[in-house]
Amino acid sequence: MNPRSLTVLKPGLETTVQELPGRIGYLEQGFPVSGPFDKWSFRQANLLVGNDRDAAALECQFLGPSLRFDCPAMVAVTGADMRPRLDGEPVQMWQSLPVRAGQVLDLGAAQTGTRAYVALSGGIDTPPVLGSRAVFHMARVGGHALVADQVVPLGTPTEAGLLTIPPPLRPVFPTDRRWQVEAMVGPNDDWLDPASVEMFFAADWTMQAKSSRTGLRLTGPQFSFAHRALHKNSDHGQDPSNIIDHGYPLGAVNLAGQTPIILVNDSPSTGGFINPFTIASAAFWKLAQTRPGDILQFRRIDRDDAGRLRAALDQVTNPGVPARV
Amino acid sequence: MGCDMLHDALRFFPGGDRAIEVELGDGMDFSLNFTVHRLVAAVREARIAAIEDLIPELASFQITYDPDRIRYEDLTAEITAIYARIGQGISGSLSSRLITMPVCYFEAETTACIDDYRKTYPDKRPDPDLVAEMNALPDRAALARRHSGTEYWVAALGFWPGLCSLLPLRPGARIFAPKYNPPRTWTPKGAVGIGGALSCIYPDRTPGGYQLIGRCPAPIYDRDQRLPAFRDSLALLKAGDRVRFQPVPAEECARIDAEVAAGTYRHDILEYQIFSVDQYLAWAAQQETRP
Repeated sequence: MNPRSLTVLKPGLETTVQELPGRIGYLEQGFPVSGPFDKWSFRQANLLVGNDRDAAALECQFLGPSLRFDCPAMVAVTGADMRPRLDGEPVQMWQSLPVRAGQVLDLGAAQTGTRAYVALSGGIDTPPVLGSRAVFHMARVGGHALVADQVVPLGTPTEAGLLTIPPPLRPVFPTDRRWQVEAMVGPNDDWLDPASVEMFFAADWTMQAKSSRTGLRLTGPQFSFAHRALHKNSDHGQDPSNIIDHGYPLGAVNLAGQTPIILVNDSPSTGGFINPFTIASAAFWKLAQTRPGDILQFRRIDRDDAGRLRAALDQVTNPGVPARV
Repeated sequence: MGCDMLHDALRFFPGGDRAIEVELGDGMDFSLNFTVHRLVAAVREARIAAIEDLIPELASFQITYDPDRIRYEDLTAEITAIYARIGQGISGSLSSRLITMPVCYFEAETTACIDDYRKTYPDKRPDPDLVAEMNALPDRAALARRHSGTEYWVAALGFWPGLCSLLPLRPGARIFAPKYNPPRTWTPKGAVGIGGALSCIYPDRTPGGYQLIGRCPAPIYDRDQRLPAFRDSLALLKAGDRVRFQPVPAEECARIDAEVAAGTYRHDILEYQIFSVDQYLAWAAQQETRP
């Protein structure tokens, strides 16, 4: 009998095992939550292969891996278009794909978007660390990014038919490379001059190349600060954007000097810079798919809007979404 | 007992739709931080199911929650009620482990790291000399005595897994140091650093910015959870623990390095201790008035 596993032939660019909800309960010791960056694509990939939508799967970035299956399995590729091929033949994304032992799945460079997801029936069965299989590669928590010849264990699959995600229910990546990203003010918007708060929502922001799962750096106009930031207790530090060390919310727009850095899944849990804005949780998938040079515009929403966006995202990632092929 | 750094009421700042920053006061001060921990402990005891993560920090704490299980308004009202119940004053006690960490001051690995930085930035004064001078200490030995002559309060952990912010508890033991500019690209695992008024132990080989004065051979971070102190987590310390530095000579440091490598090292952790802030503050006041 074949082992339930796959073997990595080429690792791609920091391909990692991710799982939902991520590493919960260890932020207070400095462990980031990790987990998949684009939950929309991740969950749809799992549903296509008959898994629980939160099961462990692979997240590929910019350049995908080459994987050989050691057993028959059902596979699905979603997210960024990395032109997947099975034994050299192009195959459909957003659709379940039966593979035989010995077949090779190749992902190339992302044509649109940045992150692709590969789900495998039975899910990935690496040992959980602090309650999660999600990998925080920089600190090697829960393992590390895939390396050549690595054998990745798979779990026990459930029977699943051939499924596809109807096109209207898939995430859409803008062709003009301009993204509208929903964001909220706070927690530290009162450290900025009110005109700078308006400016943040009016300006075009360019994603820098120096961006990863530990943070997305933006280029744009300069911020000016409120009285509070300029006349503060010296414990806060010298720069106007310094504050006494505090917790960093996931999705916070962190201002270090004049460079906004959006804090994402593998970002630091705490630090000494202000967070004037925070991206709505249901809009993170957009951040995951932006490419260096893309333009981000932030749309100001409130808590109720954010709740409606979460409900809408939940709708398109529920088990009733995949349709029979 | 009052504290002029404490706000009259909690201040809530939403961080998106899943996090809240709760600010208790304005300043970097042990009493304020103790109050943060006491409130966080009470919030934990209340077992609010929608709370996913709590991060106690120096003057504030962060709540991560599931907004589909509790409304922001209800959660902040519940936190306010808990704060009213425990009382805002700086009083009460918390269980607090005391962990003794052997440290070898001014040892070879940290010295090599400082020398490596100074190859690129030759004007950088060697860290121990700079810190001693800035704190009006006559020499390195006096710096080591000052640094090891107090217990430290683990005020918070964060930025990197296991990285701790340590506040000295003995009045007069504060050591101040500027941070590296630009930061170092690497720091030896276990290095002891000082930045601002805080000390830290580097959990792993990472970039860093604190001035380095020594190295702890016993780990505070163990990725493989090999030693028994790491049964529950990869990180040893928790906020609200106390740390005492025990100076050891280079030979003893090498012996501990070998025990850690062999997997036989056992950390010195007193699990049973309770920290009373009332008794502490009375003691601290006495220390300050002593001639």
